[in-house]
Amino acid sequence: MFFLHNLERQVTLHPSFFGREMKQLVTSKLLNDVEGTCAGNYFIISIMDAFDISEGKILPGSGLAEFTVNYRAVVWRPFKGETMDAVVYSVNPHGFFANAGPLRMFVSAHLIPTDIKYDGNATPPQFTNNDDSVIAPGTHVRVKVIGTRTEVGEMWAIGSIKEDYLGCLQDA
Amino acid sequence: MSAHDQFHDSDEEEEEFNPPPATASDDEGAGQSLEQRRRPRPEDEEDDEEDHEQEQADHDDDEDEEEDEDDEDDVHGGSRPRKRRKAAGNAFIDLEAEVDDEDEAEDDEADGEEIRDFIDHSHPDDVAETERMHDDRHHRELDRRMQLEAGVDAEEQAELYKIRYGRKHRKRGLGDGNVMPRRLLLPSVDDPSIWAVKCKEGKEREVIFSIMKRVEESQGTNREVSITSAFERGGPDSVMKGLIYVEAQRLNDIILALDGMLNVYVHGKNHMVDIKEMPDLLRIQKTEPLQPGAWVRLRRPPKHNGDLAQVIDVTENGLEARVRFIPRIDYGGTSNNTTNSMFGKRKRPAFGHGPRPPQRFFNETDAKKHDPRGIVRQGNSWLYRGDEFENGFQVKDIKIQLLQTQHVEPSLEEVTKFANNGEDGNENLDLGALAASLKEGSHSILYVPGDTVEVYDGEQKGVVGKATHVTGDIVTLQVTEGGLQGQSIEVPTRWLRKKFNVGDHVKVVGGSRFRDEAGMVVKISEDRVTILSDQNSKEITVFSKDLREASDSGGQSSLGQYSLLDLVQVDSTTVGCVVKVDRESLGVLDQNADVRTMQVSQIANRLPKRKLAVAADRNGSEIRLEDVVKEHGGQQRQGKIIHIHRSFVYLHSNDNKENAGVFVVRANNVATVAAKGGRITGQSASSGPDLNAMNPAVQRLNHPKQMAPPKIIGRDKSIGQTVHVKKGGYKGLLGVVKDATDTHVRLELHSKNKIITVPKDTVIFKDKITGERIDITRRGPPQRSGGLAPPSVDRSWQGGRTPSGSRDSGRTPGWGSATPSYGGSGGRTPAWSRGGDGGRTPAWQDGSRTVNPYADGSRTAYGGGGGRTPAWSSGGGKTPAGDFGSGSKTPAYGGGDSWNSGSKTPAYGASAPTPGASGGPDWGAPTPGALNAPTPGAYSAPTPAAVNAPTPGAWQSSSWGGGGDSAPTPAAGAPTPAAGGMYYGAPTPAPYTAETPAASGPRYDD
Repeated sequence: MFFLHNLERQVTLHPSFFGREMKQLVTSKLLNDVEGTCAGNYFIISIMDAFDISEGKILPGSGLAEFTVNYRAVVWRPFKGETMDAVVYSVNPHGFFANAGPLRMFVSAHLIPTDIKYDGNATPPQFTNNDDSVIAPGTHVRVKVIGTRTEVGEMWAIGSIKEDYLGCLQDA
Repeated sequence: MSAHDQFHDSDEEEEEFNPPPATASDDEGAGQSLEQRRRPRPEDEEDDEEDHEQEQADHDDDEDEEEDEDDEDDVHGGSRPRKRRKAAGNAFIDLEAEVDDEDEAEDDEADGEEIRDFIDHSHPDDVAETERMHDDRHHRELDRRMQLEAGVDAEEQAELYKIRYGRKHRKRGLGDGNVMPRRLLLPSVDDPSIWAVKCKEGKEREVIFSIMKRVEESQGTNREVSITSAFERGGPDSVMKGLIYVEAQRLNDIILALDGMLNVYVHGKNHMVDIKEMPDLLRIQKTEPLQPGAWVRLRRPPKHNGDLAQVIDVTENGLEARVRFIPRIDYGGTSNNTTNSMFGKRKRPAFGHGPRPPQRFFNETDAKKHDPRGIVRQGNSWLYRGDEFENGFQVKDIKIQLLQTQHVEPSLEEVTKFANNGEDGNENLDLGALAASLKEGSHSILYVPGDTVEVYDGEQKGVVGKATHVTGDIVTLQVTEGGLQGQSIEVPTRWLRKKFNVGDHVKVVGGSRFRDEAGMVVKISEDRVTILSDQNSKEITVFSKDLREASDSGGQSSLGQYSLLDLVQVDSTTVGCVVKVDRESLGVLDQNADVRTMQVSQIANRLPKRKLAVAADRNGSEIRLEDVVKEHGGQQRQGKIIHIHRSFVYLHSNDNKENAGVFVVRANNVATVAAKGGRITGQSASSGPDLNAMNPAVQRLNHPKQMAPPKIIGRDKSIGQTVHVKKGGYKGLLGVVKDATDTHVRLELHSKNKIITVPKDTVIFKDKITGERIDITRRGPPQRSGGLAPPSVDRSWQGGRTPSGSRDSGRTPGWGSATPSYGGSGGRTPAWSRGGDGGRTPAWQDGSRTVNPYADGSRTAYGGGGGRTPAWSSGGGKTPAGDFGSGSKTPAYGGGDSWNSGSKTPAYGASAPTPGASGGPDWGAPTPGALNAPTPGAYSAPTPAAVNAPTPGAWQSSSWGGGGDSAPTPAAGAPTPAAGGMYYGAPTPAPYTAETPAASGPRYDD
């Protein structure tokens, strides 16, 4: 789910950047540092604006200036039970991996409807029910998240397509 | 018990109108019957069977009344023979008994007519063709019995009832034991006592069987064994092993009964069991039946004591198991034995002492070699000296009591031995380990407050809650779902199991071999939970009791000092990357791409991660850790470099789940996809650092290149020159430059009357007269301007320049040096412009403005200084200043201001002592020869210092004494970065990186 979230971050600036354009530099550094990262259990998708940039403070010893920046960002947090669309990128006998934007998820064979079976002889290997559902790398699927795990700078999810209206989004 | 029985009996007495003769007939058998009742079960059963047979004989298909009749027959059956004996003693009873038999005969007919009529059944003789008209017959009979009973005294009667119905009652109790309150069945002081008798350990059951035999044999003789029961509670893990328990009225009876029996020591100290403890003796402990595939430990044969074995099969009666284990055969040693045995009986080798042979799989070649006659082939298996071998394993039927089935805890090492050999090893390994984990864990299920648990048995079945506290076997839980929500209930642990939901992040904590794996639950069926491991994205199935909710941080990824993705030294020539961490072993991907499973002890050590390791890819580009590279050819796998070891690189990729995403390739078989931090790679970057980028001297030369060439004010020197077109459609034609811009010239061709425009760099300037190639920029102006600089000076200066020209572009010295001026080697520019402009210009143009005063000064010296001037101007003067500027020694630069160039120079000399010292005297001499020395200076850092140092120093001390004193101070700070920069050393930031304000900012922006 997407949220508009107010966040705060310390940005440091090298003395060589001190000057009139400093605020702009701070903002661009913030964008570089933060946009597209995973912050714990959500992803920072885009920074709307940095609405409050504090006075810079020189850090003793290094000469760098530190700014406290308050900014507003669009963040995306996947929830347990949320349904999202993903693109399959890898298929193996135990299930398949898919990307939902920055989130990687695994759908175990246990969580795939029983009529959709692994076919290792196909190229590329795929899950198929020999009818309208063929799940191979590149397939768009609708997945329900049943669990998430967060690590430093990374998120992981386990999904299921063993429910109504989930699974393949395109006809084979 | 007796009281109860009596009560019941009297009850039934009214219901059942049993013919008195039958009861009387039982009278005498009382004592015996008591004994029978208390006898071990097997005998009981025999009795029952007899009864049944008789019963069946009596009533063929009389199912309806079976229950009742059965009861009666028990009494009858047991005593029937005796009844016959008694016949003479009591005619009346006998008679009645016969009538009874008759009745029974009639019974069949009666049955057909009137079914389910209780009274009719009981008294079939009453069942005449008509109704209950003949009731008086009942009365008569009742009267008769009353009379009879009155004749017997009360005590006897009680005894009688007890005998008659006690047994029957017990049988009924067996059928539905729940009905009878247990405490009423407890033994009392009136019951026989139980003694514990010592016997040989492991022979308990045999002893019991021999007692049974003795009882049977003595039955009916005058030496009847008068014990009530005997039982044993032996077993490998029992505390009651080595004892049998015998129930009898007196100890003497036991001694008599067991006298002379093998393996039992009845004459020793016998211990009487306390009445209170009697029930405990018979408490049944449920033992898990042995399953094929389970792990056990052997006790026998002694050679194999403690060895791990796997159950193949269990015999029907559950007494023996067929197990397989790794044999311990000493082929050589045993052959000696056999030769010995030829000479007669020898002492059997004792296994208790001396080393036992190591565990090794059976090898028929070895066996044949040592004892060719001892080996026989039987289908798939071998028979070798009485032992059976299959697939390398020894196979043997062993009594279960000689197996240790509890707390087996097979180590992985042992288990793998089994897995390695069998073709179906893998399957066995998994199942077996799972079964073992079940056994092990069952006694150590741990619940901690906070666990979500589910009651799966008992009254509260289905309740889900959170454990709040745990005391011993009782878990108090707060119900979280359903009708009982919010209540707190207590449940014994045996009815509980942990509850998880799909998607939970859990960790294996129990005794399974997957211990410490963490993962997410993907499937739950009963108490088996399938989780997807975090480490390798494999699915594993474990019991829910072995799981615990995990925090989000992943599970164990290290074993000892080795953790996942570490590089380890496998042996002296092999390294490997840890791709799997198990409880007791590591999976290591070695450099040949083989995965080995290794114990920690097998690994030599861990190789520290070399952050600076560099290798060259197939294009020769450098590759470092964290670079993304792609395999060339093969599977075209792409991954991030995690280790570089010699010519092998270990790559990690998230797309590849095998071996934790790690694979190994040769460094020269990969191509860089993206270097870490956007480092420039590819053909242009040779392996190794970009020296040019780091070299301040080169940088200095390069920088002016980016500068616009010095703007020449006034008439373009090319105008009026004769030129030769060297490129394009007009190639080869001569012409005169009529007009020129910065880039182009307009030529009036000699050959035809046409003016063309060509780029300046496509023309060659020629001497008007000789046709020789000339350099207008160099040669022309000095010649024209004449007086200012004497030609001789110019020449010497040119000579001085030559090496510098050659060092720039490798051109031949001499006139060729003109080209470099266009070639853009900036260092030269000031030189020529100085030459052209009379010395002031270069200083002015090339250096920054600040140099001005100095430049002025220099010019003065130049102008006046005759012979010294060239030396000075080429080696010192401008050069250090330029050097300084491009070398970006800002502080000194900024600080020095008008003195900077001069002041800083001596500082160089000071900080770079050796060249300075050696250079000093040389530089005193203005000879061009001496000037050759600075040439390398452009490349090697110290030299410029040397060049710079002496000259101004000398000069300064004479001309600028006062200034010199004050100047060195700021300068002192300067040389350090400068010198450092030359050496590619620490201060790097200043010279190389654009970020540094010193280098880029003031110098070039202004």
